[in-house]
Amino acid sequence: MRKTWSIMRRDLLKLGRNPLTVFTSVLLPIIYLVIFGNSFQGVLKHLPVVIVSQDNGPYAIRVMEQMQALAAGPKTIAITYNSDAGTALQDVRDGVYKAALIIPPGFSRSIAEGRIGELGLFTDNVDSISAATLTGVFSQATASIRVNYVTAREPKLDQIVMRPNNLFTTVDYDRSLIPGVIVMALFMGSLTSGVFNWVMDRFMGITECYLVTPLSRWNLAAGVLGSSVLVTSVASVIVLAVGLLITGGTITGGAPAAAMLVGVIIIGATGILAMTFVLLARANNPRVVGASAGFLNVILFFPSGAIYPIESFPPWLRAFAHYNPETHAVSALKSILFKGANFAAISNDVTFLIVFTAIMLVIASMTVKRTL
Amino acid sequence: MRSTMESQSAAIRASELTKRFGDLTAVDHVSFEVRRGELFGLLGPNGAGKTTLSRMLTTLIVPTSGQGFVAGFDVARDPVRVREAIGVIPQALTSDLDLTGWENVDIYGGFYNLSRRVRRERAQHLIHMVGLTERANDLVQTYSGGMRRRLEIARGLVHSPEVLFLDEPTIGLDPQSRRAVWDLLEQLRRDTGLTISLTTHYMDEAETLCDRIAIVDGGKIIAIGSPAELKAMVKGSDRLELEVQGDAEKIVAMLRGQPGVHEVTRDPDGPIVVLADDGAHAMPKIISEIENAGAKVSSIKLERMSLEDVFIRFTGRRLRDEPARKGGFFSSSFGMPMPPGR
Repeated sequence: MRKTWSIMRRDLLKLGRNPLTVFTSVLLPIIYLVIFGNSFQGVLKHLPVVIVSQDNGPYAIRVMEQMQALAAGPKTIAITYNSDAGTALQDVRDGVYKAALIIPPGFSRSIAEGRIGELGLFTDNVDSISAATLTGVFSQATASIRVNYVTAREPKLDQIVMRPNNLFTTVDYDRSLIPGVIVMALFMGSLTSGVFNWVMDRFMGITECYLVTPLSRWNLAAGVLGSSVLVTSVASVIVLAVGLLITGGTITGGAPAAAMLVGVIIIGATGILAMTFVLLARANNPRVVGASAGFLNVILFFPSGAIYPIESFPPWLRAFAHYNPETHAVSALKSILFKGANFAAISNDVTFLIVFTAIMLVIASMTVKRTL
Repeated sequence: MRSTMESQSAAIRASELTKRFGDLTAVDHVSFEVRRGELFGLLGPNGAGKTTLSRMLTTLIVPTSGQGFVAGFDVARDPVRVREAIGVIPQALTSDLDLTGWENVDIYGGFYNLSRRVRRERAQHLIHMVGLTERANDLVQTYSGGMRRRLEIARGLVHSPEVLFLDEPTIGLDPQSRRAVWDLLEQLRRDTGLTISLTTHYMDEAETLCDRIAIVDGGKIIAIGSPAELKAMVKGSDRLELEVQGDAEKIVAMLRGQPGVHEVTRDPDGPIVVLADDGAHAMPKIISEIENAGAKVSSIKLERMSLEDVFIRFTGRRLRDEPARKGGFFSSSFGMPMPPGR
């Protein structure tokens, strides 16, 4: 125990004297949270749209009112009016507007006569996200106009109204990112306090000093693991606290949920640390660890469900996400943070993390060579 | 239990020790013994195989064949006991820059399971011994290279080892720091009776410090003995340069027949050069013989053979640096098999 503690003490003292190293593990995820939270925002807003109305009838006015409601309420669009369709379309091509909505002459009359009234929506479909959003909200807004004019013989399917109900308290987009940034802190912390130090020690020849002492392979592994998991877990809890502070949220399940969060953080830190050892501990140059860090972060973080639901991924990426430890860490943290302390909800994720961690620890311990 | 009775008398014993890295034989059937309390030098150029030999004896590398015993324990079969019995000062400066000198020694003591009290006592004593008491609580990053090396010697001694291995301990140090390390090693040998194995490619270091020296080249020990014994192995180890007034050709012929004289040469109008054993004792006799032959010695110069001259005689070349090792991205970055510093 004294031998293992000596290794832990050395690492902790070194990390304590280089707080910037640990600070980056905290700062980077928080910056991600702020940048992602404010750039993606979940729902698109203020999309510039030009409206050209060539009809003065009542249904054209109803359409205009719907558009103004979209601009005033959810602020999805910002409207500019133009009387010339040609200019409006050119402006869309030039990137001034995301879309042009043209209400053609005779639009109101068509509806009044029971025919379908056609509107022209010209989108800048190079920006596919904006185009899809505008098409969606415009279709929804204009669909309601026809409700009053469905004939009695037609089934009134479009009169069905869905009333959404949330099972859990509303989670803003930026707050929903907190589990993801905690997992990012786990990854960054594991890398900077664990495998990077290990490879740097070998690069500097310091490992040689360990290997000529009676330290066993287990002393070495447990010492490095212990210090790194401790530092990473503390950094991740700080990220959690700062994340909640920034987004104004709280932990739904109170103290039991907080305890479960810490538990998942510790298991996640151990698993991810062991995985980084499996992947990188044999590198002889810390530059390899540095170069791999960004790559690994991308391939583990983005398919983890932290930003986008994994169910929407193509099958191959969904399969990868299924075996990605960050996916299960994000899922467990989301359940605890936003749904309360319900162990049944996280049992599958926690079981996966425990099994994954155990396998990685066994393989990682094999990478700790007792000779040069 | 010690692995063999035979090895108990020797602090270090190598028997046909061999290490191969692929096609390269870094150490080739090397056998030698180091007596307890001896300061033993492994002398050779970079790439000679000294470091590999030392690493096998310190359990860092598993021998391909042969046996090595340190403090009576087999390095391959009983590596933990060997590690408990040795202190190692590697070639690179390996003290932790972010820790204080005190912390470096104290933490290292923990690796040997020493209690807090013992670590404190040992660290205090050793840090004082290496002259770093006043800087003990400063971060090592503020130390000079010489101070770091002295600290590492203290660190290597924290568990009172039986044998201390030093690999190029003065490489890269300024002359003053080098001298300080030498003084420290001499003090250790004098005061503690510690067995020291010193790997070096500095001739003066080996000659000044070592009781016995093994000259290593091409993975083999090509000569072993005390500095004096090594010189004595070379016939005509001393060089006498004589300027004479008289018949030089006759004197050259006369000297060639003298006992202990191995070679006599003379450039036209130059001095007579005599290569002889034990030149200091041969000199009066040579002067006497020249005078008996009716000539007169106007000047005489004696040059003792240096260890470097001995090395050249044994290897046919000067100490030279090994060519730079080449490694591709994968071999250098991911630890693909590549021989260590040999």
